[in-house]
Amino acid sequence: MTTARSLRIGEALLGGGLSALGALIAIETMLTPSAGRSVVGPALFPYLISGGLVLIGLSLLREAFAGHIAHETGLELDLRAVALVAAGLAAQFLLIEFLGWIPSAALLFVAVARAFGSRRYLPNAALGLLLAGGTFVVFNYGLDLNLPIGSVGEWFAPAE
Amino acid sequence: MDTLAALGHGFLVALTPYNLLWSAIGVTVGTAVGVLPGIGPALTVALLLPVTYHLEPTSAFIMFAGIYYGAMYGGSTTSILLNAPGESGSIVTAIDGHAMARQGRGAQALATAAIGSFVAGTIATAALTFVAPLMVKMALLFGPAEYFALMVLALTTVTAVLGNSLARGLGSLFFGLALGLVGIDMQTGQARLAFGVPELLDGIDTVVVAVGLFAVGETLYVASRYRFETEEIFALKGSKWMSREDWSRSWKPWLRGTLLGFPIGALPAGGSEIPTFLSYLVEKRLAKKPEEFGHGAIEAVAGPEAANNASAAGVLAPLLSLGLPTSATAAIMLAAFQQYGLQPGPTLFDSNPELVWGMIASLYIGNVLLLLLNLPLVGMWVKLLLIPRPWLYAGILVFSTLGAYTLNNNVVDLVILWVIGLVGFGMRVLNVPVAPCVVGLILGPLAEQQFRRALAISQGDPTVFVTHPISAALLAIAVLLVVGPLLMRRRSRAAAT
Repeated sequence: MTTARSLRIGEALLGGGLSALGALIAIETMLTPSAGRSVVGPALFPYLISGGLVLIGLSLLREAFAGHIAHETGLELDLRAVALVAAGLAAQFLLIEFLGWIPSAALLFVAVARAFGSRRYLPNAALGLLLAGGTFVVFNYGLDLNLPIGSVGEWFAPAE
Repeated sequence: MDTLAALGHGFLVALTPYNLLWSAIGVTVGTAVGVLPGIGPALTVALLLPVTYHLEPTSAFIMFAGIYYGAMYGGSTTSILLNAPGESGSIVTAIDGHAMARQGRGAQALATAAIGSFVAGTIATAALTFVAPLMVKMALLFGPAEYFALMVLALTTVTAVLGNSLARGLGSLFFGLALGLVGIDMQTGQARLAFGVPELLDGIDTVVVAVGLFAVGETLYVASRYRFETEEIFALKGSKWMSREDWSRSWKPWLRGTLLGFPIGALPAGGSEIPTFLSYLVEKRLAKKPEEFGHGAIEAVAGPEAANNASAAGVLAPLLSLGLPTSATAAIMLAAFQQYGLQPGPTLFDSNPELVWGMIASLYIGNVLLLLLNLPLVGMWVKLLLIPRPWLYAGILVFSTLGAYTLNNNVVDLVILWVIGLVGFGMRVLNVPVAPCVVGLILGPLAEQQFRRALAISQGDPTVFVTHPISAALLAIAVLLVVGPLLMRRRSRAAAT
């Protein structure tokens, strides 16, 4: 649930985040020893962009507290669904090298389907496995791309 | 005459059975993916990129051309029947198109959109055929200073045109520019902002960012709103054919839309938003019954949809001849070229004529194939809208991670995808446009390169950008585009008080 007031906080976060990103780029550029003797070194653009980020961030902060914000009438958000999708994606990048593409993609499928309100775990898991398995076959054997079979899969794979 | 000979040769390339097959696959898959709600042309091209990794470049780009045009056709189907425009160019189509669908005239709306797209696409492709070589001639006169100024102009317009807040647009643009800094500096080999992660030395991939913003961010947003919104699909019923009146009300808007769409799309500051909105306004002014607009006027579908497709062809002119992407879709196409080690620009026409002209020829062929695919078979595409939403979005995310992973076969890209997706969700909630970010990411490093080249040639004299007349003029236009609206707003505010 989100009201106009928390959207203002979001807007302020956006402004603050951009300013912080600008500061981070400036600091990181200062810490990197500059190489080369050319007229304009590799540090100029990072400084320009970090300056721009800080300025835009500050102007967004001002807008957040004084000006018009998006969806002024408020906007309702189901943050549990967002967390579920984000968790599914995180689980996938944490598990993909261990479990391999097929189980981790199927897990993602089930998580997203659940976020969209589907509780039929078994059919969803079956469909997810089918999709992941299908893409694995097409991409690894048809298109010569390497989707990972995973450390677990390699235990079962014939030794070469 | 040279152009016609080159085009003829392009047709010889595009009409070989092998390339024809890829063109047909491209338009079919492009339409199918473009029909899925929330997926616009930019995302369609990004998601289908891995499929082409092992193709010959010429066949790959013939397929891309098909995907690009197919996604535009598919997008109008979703706009009309579901009121879910996948990209900003389809927003105008959605207004009256969806109103027509509510009245049971969805079939006529789809037909005028498809035939209008065909007419506009064919005329605009013909225009592209002749404009692109002219732009190449012009581009050969350009030095680094002019290129830099042109890129600044493109970045400013992409940002200033989109969204209602300049600060939010600029925020998105600078976020993209910041992402573009990551990796090894092209001139000195210096690592920048890699934070010791070796996978970051190659930079952040445009495709990962685009998929993160358009697919992951969008899915997160739709998930967050899913409980609160219901969607209705309006079935096609009644006569499927356009009546004589529909035809007579459609053909002029098609031509006017094309006339607006192509030139604006071909400008280095193009894109599809301005021509579609302009076309809507023009048709409303010229219509016999302007009161129908907003409630299902067929002119309001015919004109903007033609403008949309014509501008899509127009966008290809600066992309191919100058290497300048002016829309998110074009930015991803440029990334696709780079994947093959090709840099679009004047030299591409000399070094890879088969590829460039084969691709342009395949646009004509793709348009014909699309008309065949869309008029009789539209009922089949509509069925795609019936996929249950939980499965649809789960599938979209599985394909998004597949695309991101197979780019470089590493997990770091999946982590970046996740982070960008969350940022994209935040941007969507706060109404920040995402296209400037994608264009900034791809144009930023190119602009920096030209900037430093120009200064190296002038031996460090920064006035080079204002003493070259073309460069000075382009920069002046860019400044005007940012400052002008601010001044006008201030003046109107002063007048109001």
